[in-house]
Amino acid sequence: MRGRERAPALPETAIGLGALAFAGLVLWQAWEIPVSPLYAKIGPSVFPYATAGGLAVLALLLVAQAARGGWQAAEEREVALDRRALAFVVAGLLANVALIGWLGFTAASTVMFVLVARGFGSRTPLRDGAIGSAVALVAYFGFAKALGVNIGAGLVERLLGG
Amino acid sequence: MLTKRDLLKASVALGGLSLLLGRPERAAAQMVDQLQIFVPAAPGGGWDQTARTMEQVLKAEKLIGSAQITNVPGAGGAVGLPQFINQWRGRPNALMVGGLVMVGALIANKSPVKITQTVPIARLTGEFEVLVVPADSPLKTAKDFAAALKTDPKKVSVAGGSAGGTDHILLGMIGKALGVAPRDLTYVAYAGGGPALAAILGGHVTAGISGFGEFGEQIKAGKLRALAISAGERQPDIDVPTLKEEGIDVELFNWRGVFAPPGISAAQRESLIALIEKMANSNAWKEELRKRDWTPILLTGDAYAKFIENENERVTSVLKDLGLAS
Amino acid sequence: METLSQLANGFAIALTPAHLLWCLVGTTLGTAIGVLPGLGPALTIALLLPITFKVEPTAAFILFAGIYYGAMYGGSTTSILLNTPGESATIVTALEGNRMARSGRAGAALATSAIGSFVAGTIGTIGITFLAPVVVSFALKFGPAEYFSLMVMAFATVSAVLGSSAVRGLTSLFFGFYLGMIGVDLQTGQARFTLGIPELLDGVNVIVVAVGLFAVGETLYVAARRHAGKDEIVPLRGSLYMTREEWSRSWKPWLRGAALGFPIGALPAGGAEIPTFLSYWIEKRLSKKPEEFGTVGAIEGVAGPEAANNASAAGVLVPMLTLGLPTSATAAIMLSAFQSYGINPGPLLLQNQPALVWGLIASLYIANIMLLVLNLPMVGIWVRVLKIPAPLLYAGILVFATIGTYGISNSPVDLILLYLLGAVGFLMRRFDFPTAPVIIGMILGPLAEQNFRQAMTISDGDWTVFFRQPLSATLLALAVVGLVGPRLYALYAARRLRDAAQPGEA
Repeated sequence: MRGRERAPALPETAIGLGALAFAGLVLWQAWEIPVSPLYAKIGPSVFPYATAGGLAVLALLLVAQAARGGWQAAEEREVALDRRALAFVVAGLLANVALIGWLGFTAASTVMFVLVARGFGSRTPLRDGAIGSAVALVAYFGFAKALGVNIGAGLVERLLGG
Repeated sequence: MLTKRDLLKASVALGGLSLLLGRPERAAAQMVDQLQIFVPAAPGGGWDQTARTMEQVLKAEKLIGSAQITNVPGAGGAVGLPQFINQWRGRPNALMVGGLVMVGALIANKSPVKITQTVPIARLTGEFEVLVVPADSPLKTAKDFAAALKTDPKKVSVAGGSAGGTDHILLGMIGKALGVAPRDLTYVAYAGGGPALAAILGGHVTAGISGFGEFGEQIKAGKLRALAISAGERQPDIDVPTLKEEGIDVELFNWRGVFAPPGISAAQRESLIALIEKMANSNAWKEELRKRDWTPILLTGDAYAKFIENENERVTSVLKDLGLAS
Repeated sequence: METLSQLANGFAIALTPAHLLWCLVGTTLGTAIGVLPGLGPALTIALLLPITFKVEPTAAFILFAGIYYGAMYGGSTTSILLNTPGESATIVTALEGNRMARSGRAGAALATSAIGSFVAGTIGTIGITFLAPVVVSFALKFGPAEYFSLMVMAFATVSAVLGSSAVRGLTSLFFGFYLGMIGVDLQTGQARFTLGIPELLDGVNVIVVAVGLFAVGETLYVAARRHAGKDEIVPLRGSLYMTREEWSRSWKPWLRGAALGFPIGALPAGGAEIPTFLSYWIEKRLSKKPEEFGTVGAIEGVAGPEAANNASAAGVLVPMLTLGLPTSATAAIMLSAFQSYGINPGPLLLQNQPALVWGLIASLYIANIMLLVLNLPMVGIWVRVLKIPAPLLYAGILVFATIGTYGISNSPVDLILLYLLGAVGFLMRRFDFPTAPVIIGMILGPLAEQNFRQAMTISDGDWTVFFRQPLSATLLALAVVGLVGPRLYALYAARRLRDAAQPGEA
């Protein structure tokens, strides 16, 4: 077999072990489910245990596959992660969570928009900010407001009579 | 930018506003500028519809200037209630919509807060439940059903909504009234009366319990036989006996009502009660209830508070019997 | 006869100006979304779910169905011109379609895929029209035991066809089971997997999962791959008309593709991938010019899989409308749209909501016609959609992702969950785990569990209930066949191959 000759793949091994750890977490959480005196026939924890067991078996199979050289496509393996781009996108997401509560949807979205666009290689933050706030406002008034979805009005929305 | 001083100014202004609105001799007569309605459920459900109907009627009757509805969905109200009790404390023109489902959910989820920590304002509407069997069932009356249940509760499977919900509670009460241990009952939980319908019509379960609205059409079409309803007395236009008439001493309404946050003054409470009474007596409200098949069961103030306490006790005891509360 | 008069009523509903407009919006939006690589109909419908608060159900479902069908058409345009499948079901189209485009026959490839989609989509819709009432007529016989057995069959077929990636596919499916079980247990009211967070008592919203995996995960994935070279868009050359020869090479694959796609799509967990691959394989065998496959691009290899893809998309609607069983990620999202209206898809849907169902089915016929026009004469517009700059596109997607999730609950918990799932989705994409089984597992897993336990409660703990009832027993037997059959066949084929090879070697 072609796969046997390849060295164990580290990233896939990590994924396999991660899946195994997750199966452990599911098992522990299944164990925590209170046992109800009601319907003792098939209780609420039977399927959770089965899921934990299934995940554990699958995780071991993944580790075994990783040991035999992994499964990731060669092309994917060779592409280096663009950490800078990822960092900007993640920063955008975190900013959104942090700001949406007290600045409101439009302001938080604009900040996120600029950071994410930057991550994707845009070099015009001002233009992005303008486009981002336009998109967010259109989304807010044309979509959220018209449909009666309550989506965290903040400073900007109140100024514009939202 | 918002500064601390701005916040301070704003809170002073708000305080002044609440003082102004709270003045007892004017409160009853004055129109409430903005009513805040807290809905501890997702948009679209029964409580949300109640809130939106209230908004519509109150505005049309010029009892309020505007209303702002906040939805905090989750776990039959168990997610929203702590927020209402803690963060909405002392707000003068605020109401929360809730009901029997919330009483049950709080007990079953062992919530740290209780519904009795709010200030009950008024019970507004209710829906009674109905016990049905498929049209070709050998059980012809509720008495037949009671006899079958007494003989062997394991053989009588009953479908309804989620465990611990209104349908399950009613079955528990029926079991209790008949002397059948609630834990011996065979209750098959579905996501609601609608999803349970196919199992009942297909004859996969013996009987079903749900709100009358969920089964009404199938009863009219003759595909389901209604054995009894859970109302206290016969309902006009519905030719179905009550459980009490059939010798099962149980009455249960899936009621909905409104509550004010804790920490409001007695005067503020009075003005909210007056506001809701005016709304409930308006023609627009009655018309909406008729359209939506909601039964008006208005009960306000102290009587309502007493009712809440009774329901709380009653539901706790049934859920304990069913093994869902400790 | 009754079916035809019902369908006529459906057309009366679907042909009102407002509904036609919804259909047009849906098909246009669907095509655009299908064209954009990585965005699918499941995500789009998930983001548009809030319209169910304001718009009446028939209009909303006409819109959703338009998006669903439109994405299938749009996906093939991207596959052909960019070699990046816009939709997982159009992977096969990219194989031959992109080669045809590179050898200067993009026009013919686009034409055969659009017309094939139209033909197969219409055949599939006719299939829904006549099959749905038949399924409904015996669906009431389905009790909890039968539903459970049906789902066992679904899972068995899924795992049997996943092939070499079975382990990863099943891992995705089991992850979906886990997500689906979070929250209060229906049968006993006990909290499961909630980690003490009250917001999780109601379970994880399927929208949050879909948007997290498909939108956030995809954005992170694309951002991380900026070092990888970009695919070139093949310029649109050659006429959009097919020659006589191309027509004669296309029509049989269309019909064969439709014949494969619809029934497999209608099977629980059939999906679109299997029939498209099957169709490709068959056309390659039957083609008179097999040398064109994998070189300059064979038109049969576009016509067949595209037809299979669209027919299976139609097929998927049958179990969803008649049994309430979603068998694709998009169907799972549509199911939650039904639920937000308080409508229960299942055996009673056709009877309780005839206007909705027949209006929806009629609108599918109309959508197919609209899509043919949108995708052939107007294909130039969609090529331009492909040129939206990536920074603006992905930043915009994340803004709409916020609305789709935060807008429902106003809870930061959902937003954090969304981004965590996005991180999971990123890893899944990078390590080639399929994401759709997560959504399917999340919906079907708990359904299977609840039906199993309902059956056991009704039978008072008697396990034989699943084998005693003939319908349930048959379904379980089919599940075994689905699980063992392909392996037996592979064994048999391998032996025959060896037998055939031996004389030569000896």
